[in-house]
Amino acid sequence: MVMEEDQKKFVIPIGPQHPALKEPAHFELTVDGETVTGATARLGYAHRGIEKAVESKNYTQALYMLERVCGICSHVHATAYAIGVEQLQDVTAPPRAQAIRVLVAEMERIHSHLLWLGVAAHEAGFDTLFMFTWRDRETIMDALEALTGNRVHYSANVIGGVKFDVTPEHVTSILRAVDFLEERTNHYMDIVNNDAVFLQRTRGIGVMPKEKAEILGVTGPTARASGVTRDLRIDAPYSGYDNYTTEMILDDRGDLEARFAVRVRELFEAYRIIREVLDNLPPGDLTARIKRRINEAETVSRIEAPRGELFYFVRSNGSDQPDRVKVRTPTICNMASVLSLAVGHQLADVPMILVGVDPCFSCNDRMIRVKRSGHDHELFTWDQLRRYGIEYYQRKVR
Amino acid sequence: MSAANVETLLKEAESLLAEWTTQTNTPEPNRLDIWLEAADVVPAMAALVEARWGYLISITGLDFPKEDKMEAIYHLGSGAAVLGLRAALDRSAPTVASVCHLIPSATLLEREVVEMFGVTFTDTPDTSHLYLPDNWPDDVYPLRKDTKLD
Repeated sequence: MVMEEDQKKFVIPIGPQHPALKEPAHFELTVDGETVTGATARLGYAHRGIEKAVESKNYTQALYMLERVCGICSHVHATAYAIGVEQLQDVTAPPRAQAIRVLVAEMERIHSHLLWLGVAAHEAGFDTLFMFTWRDRETIMDALEALTGNRVHYSANVIGGVKFDVTPEHVTSILRAVDFLEERTNHYMDIVNNDAVFLQRTRGIGVMPKEKAEILGVTGPTARASGVTRDLRIDAPYSGYDNYTTEMILDDRGDLEARFAVRVRELFEAYRIIREVLDNLPPGDLTARIKRRINEAETVSRIEAPRGELFYFVRSNGSDQPDRVKVRTPTICNMASVLSLAVGHQLADVPMILVGVDPCFSCNDRMIRVKRSGHDHELFTWDQLRRYGIEYYQRKVR
Repeated sequence: MSAANVETLLKEAESLLAEWTTQTNTPEPNRLDIWLEAADVVPAMAALVEARWGYLISITGLDFPKEDKMEAIYHLGSGAAVLGLRAALDRSAPTVASVCHLIPSATLLEREVVEMFGVTFTDTPDTSHLYLPDNWPDDVYPLRKDTKLD
């Protein structure tokens, strides 16, 4: 963008990254003055009816649809479903395949947490940090593309195992990527813990007490940041996670700062797990034999997605098509906790509280309807509410 | 989590829910399914919440038109143990009481079953659409087996 004024030129750079990845949801907040007194959500802008659709597809076709429920965490969806279908027929993917599933899952966790860190920084008005994290994220995206053939929707899974192998070249390039990112993450850790202006938006804000997090069914980094010891990789290991040491990353502060700290520390943990996986790749097959038709049965699979617990309930009916696939994503319960949490907070804190649970919808614009007592409701776009928050805190500093 | 631990958790759940249980099943070593009457879902859930047994993961609707019934499954998790509270519902008027007064976050889970299956959760605080568009016809419940959407 270039402006001309009296022969002078002002060049205002926009990009290289741009938060085009805005996501649709409608929130309705009731406020009294600046304080939120009620909050509810209306979702569905990216709803595609996948649960219904898979009832008329065979199990393999269903896999391709289910991995597209989410772009950021597509691998965990595919893994949860594949493991579920394997369980229905008492099949276990071979050890090498399990290790590769873990490898891709941790690489996905890295890209997801870095994406989130950038988005959260943007919400707080820290566009420089957003640019840096998204630039650094390209490193892991490149590694994922080299390994799987795609930056998003890796399609690593088949029912019974994985689609591709890890070569020595992959190992070298992934380890190099992880080394680079680890160094960069030290820098992010420093900002999250020590930057005064950043802390003003995060310290003591959006506190979720441990008991509340427990009963509301919050999972993932959001729960662990309130001291809740829930991590499925440790509590209920799947895909060979019990072969590796995974540390439960906890924080007892329960505020936004804690949620940032937990996710950054999880990045370090992901780098460590990847090194351990690559150091100990078992030899062997990539797939196990599976059946096309599955007897009547039901199963449950639970996976630790970047945002928390991903839960799949799969029911078979003797045909080659699933009878029912129920997908419960972590965001649905974490979102409910946000709605509960927002009450009593300032309107200006809402963008950060929402982003603190790392919500995943899928693409475009968010609208917020704010009802002030004694007035008609106002419509904010997400960007307007975000700027409202930034300006509110800038005035406070002055 | 050890197998012994899972077994203890499931036994604890089983004994907490004994008075309302009509049938049980252990489909997988870490899972226990308990069937109860729809009217007993709330007291059963209250007992689990009071004992702080795990957390509510999901509410799943199932449709069995041939048997003229529906089913609501409440899955709860504690560590590696998964409990399924299952209640059969009358297909012509599927109704069960809401658990939102016990677990406020259940509202988003109940809203989904309301719009997808047409189940009524008595006293649920919000019945507006969660995922379906505003102009979706009132009597079309997408996840019912006899709903064709092509």
